[in-house]
Amino acid sequence: MTKWLDKLKRKEPLNESEETLEDLLKTLKKSGDFITYSLGGHPPCTISYIKTLSKSDYINDFVIKPLKNAKLHSLKEMENAITVENIEMTDELSIIKEKIMIGYALIQSDADNKQVLLIPATSFESRQVGTAEVEFSVVGPKEAFVESLHLNINLVRKRLPLPQLRIEEQKIGKVTNTRVATIFIDGIANPDNVQTVKQRLQDIEYDQIIDSSFITQMLADNSSSPFPQLLDTERPDRAVSTLVEGKIVIIVDGSPQALICPTTVVEFFSASDDYFLPWHLATVFRLIRLFAVLFSVLSTPLYVAILTFHHEMIPRELMATIVSSRSDIPFPPILEVIILELAIELLREAGARLPTKIGQTIGIVGGIVIGTAAVDAGLTSNVLLIIVALSALASFTTPVYQIGNTIRLIRFPFIIGAQLWGLVGIAMVMIFFMGHLIKLKSIGSPFFEPLYPLRIQDLKDAFIRLPFNIQFKRPMLTRSPDQSRVNTKRVKEKRDIDE
Amino acid sequence: MSKPLRSSVGASVPENLQITHTYVFFLIAAMQIGVGILSLERVVVQTTGYDGWISIFITGMVLHVVLWMMYHILADCKGDIVTANQLVFGKYIGGILSLAFSLYILVLTLNVLVSFIEIIRVWVFPSLNLWIFVAFMIALIYYFVVGGFRVITGLCLMSILIGLPILWLKFFPTQAGDTLEIYPIITHSLKEILQGSEVTLFSFLGMELLLIYYPFIKNPQASKKWAHYGVFFTTMIYVVSALAVFIYYSEEQIRQVTWPTISTWKIVQFPFIERFEFIGIAMWMFVIMPNICLGLWGSTRLAKRVFNINQTYVLVIACIVLYLFTGAINERMQIKVLSDYTGNVGMYVYLYIPVLFILMKIKGRWRKMIYE
Repeated sequence: MTKWLDKLKRKEPLNESEETLEDLLKTLKKSGDFITYSLGGHPPCTISYIKTLSKSDYINDFVIKPLKNAKLHSLKEMENAITVENIEMTDELSIIKEKIMIGYALIQSDADNKQVLLIPATSFESRQVGTAEVEFSVVGPKEAFVESLHLNINLVRKRLPLPQLRIEEQKIGKVTNTRVATIFIDGIANPDNVQTVKQRLQDIEYDQIIDSSFITQMLADNSSSPFPQLLDTERPDRAVSTLVEGKIVIIVDGSPQALICPTTVVEFFSASDDYFLPWHLATVFRLIRLFAVLFSVLSTPLYVAILTFHHEMIPRELMATIVSSRSDIPFPPILEVIILELAIELLREAGARLPTKIGQTIGIVGGIVIGTAAVDAGLTSNVLLIIVALSALASFTTPVYQIGNTIRLIRFPFIIGAQLWGLVGIAMVMIFFMGHLIKLKSIGSPFFEPLYPLRIQDLKDAFIRLPFNIQFKRPMLTRSPDQSRVNTKRVKEKRDIDE
Repeated sequence: MSKPLRSSVGASVPENLQITHTYVFFLIAAMQIGVGILSLERVVVQTTGYDGWISIFITGMVLHVVLWMMYHILADCKGDIVTANQLVFGKYIGGILSLAFSLYILVLTLNVLVSFIEIIRVWVFPSLNLWIFVAFMIALIYYFVVGGFRVITGLCLMSILIGLPILWLKFFPTQAGDTLEIYPIITHSLKEILQGSEVTLFSFLGMELLLIYYPFIKNPQASKKWAHYGVFFTTMIYVVSALAVFIYYSEEQIRQVTWPTISTWKIVQFPFIERFEFIGIAMWMFVIMPNICLGLWGSTRLAKRVFNINQTYVLVIACIVLYLFTGAINERMQIKVLSDYTGNVGMYVYLYIPVLFILMKIKGRWRKMIYE
């Protein structure tokens, strides 16, 4: 009974174990990388920092050397002697704890036992900025976000030299204390959206935020939907272009993916390439991509539906081809489809887990050897093999990885619907997903926009992309207080004949 | 100055649940176009022959007048049909009338569902397991109706965007037929033509739901125009559709064909696909789904307004009722009786609206006199 009471009392052991600075230092000293030593002098002072978080050379050169050379008596004098900016003098334990845990050096003096000096010496160790691999594009910027929040914000800032660019940091996760930055342009982003995002971030109750995908799932309006409701990107240029549209970007420390909200379902199918190519090419490619998605979702269900229930629909000549390829197959179409779809998923899953080179080999072995063998053995028809392979290929055309997963998943309800009630079943599942999309919201904004609510103005950059010189306005989705992208008056003057 | 009305729960709708006035177009058109159009031509030919399209046109025009009256009723009472009924007939009789209206809409919904399932059974799956299929349908409908009015409006919009391209298929029969067939125009007496109008009314039912969702429109005055466009759009679709069928079939043939529209889909042929009616029927699901959802929503909302109870509970009960009846009504004769019955009641509802309109106006005049 008492044990149980004790348990109740010690609800948050992490936050309450250190009550004084001495306690904190004692806890820290248990780790091997925590360094603390006396600098001598009158009165004697001690310096402490975490070796693995701070820059040791830097501390040696700019902190210890000036202190050793001069005769200093109080912390105030030391603060003046050290040639480092942003030195803090404080006696608040929570601040000390927070700062020391991100790599600050701590100086205590015997003369002043309450106050301490906090010297910023954080080392920003991180991977070099590399090229975008998931959202690769042939033309356009190649930079991609890395795992350091500092560097990621730098990548955004240098593209937007604007005093109105606001970066607001929050710490989320009881244990990991992950820094999460909400970035938006003041005056372009809708304050209501910003407020919603910040509020939802604050309301997150969890012990660890390892990656931005945690935030995606926790911020989602409907967390049991298969559709991601926040767009993730690894391209700083894409993040910046959405900022300018009035959207909000969330960057999580330790994650190379930025999140963009509010977003719409169509945005998941637009690639950065769409903006780097002339508008007609971009439009055609985007339409092809959307068609690929439809094909990927519907082709195998249609195969099942038509071969199981509606043979009459196939013209005689085509029927001959299909019948001859299926004549030796011992399975009904549904079984054939499920076997092949699972095989493809298997290959994809194996390929994703393996190192690149082996992955390629597996892909070839799986794709060619297993495929041909399956047809030769009479397990599947080669018509279906073509369909399944094409639809798998089509599902990889999606520029955003997350939605590609969704596309692959929602194919299965369609197949089941097709097996139950043929085309009617497919229509039923389709209506379900359509209604689901109509219901969905992304940070309170309609997810199915610009189709519902129907906004003709936003259609110019949804299924098609019209030229930049007629896109005068920011998307209505963001409800930006500053709607106009250009100085409309000046444009009108320029547009006249012979001007 | 008019006296503020006693309003019950739900008479005013919060702004975030309201819709833009333009969607009234989709709400009206999507609700009217349903299963009716599939058999419209046969029904009208039985009374009016090839002059049926005139009957359809007349019905459409009459409906514009009814719509105008509905807007007047709604603007005068600043609420929906429940407020109007209460105002004119008092709390109890008004309440009973509203419930009758609710019941009528439920029957209308049932009729749509039953007719569509009959089509599936006749054309696609003769041995359909009715109970399981209907269970899935009802579950789907429940999922949408729970989403509220905005979601249903979205469905209406999508049904117009997705369902209507199917009507382009009417182009194929006009190619195969001869335009001279429908001449001479007007060979029937006015009486016959008006009788034709009466029977076509069934296909136009659904407009009266405006009486329920009116408080959900953000700017009701601006929506008037769009509502009229909606009715006109439906009328035009019906007229064109009827003409296309008349061009293809002879008068005698149409009498024999139960669903002329579906039968004309059979003509459509592409190198990779034949028997287009399978696709057409499947796509028609997009057209009837908002019908059923909006009907069920309207019917349950009226119950909520009259009794001040939670709509979800009413919805669950309505779904169960719908399920049992849809499962039970499965013979051609039963369905025909149900359709005729719904059509007749719809007739009375459209007669009731002018009565309500006149009573509202008298009452308004009367009150004005007292105040002055």
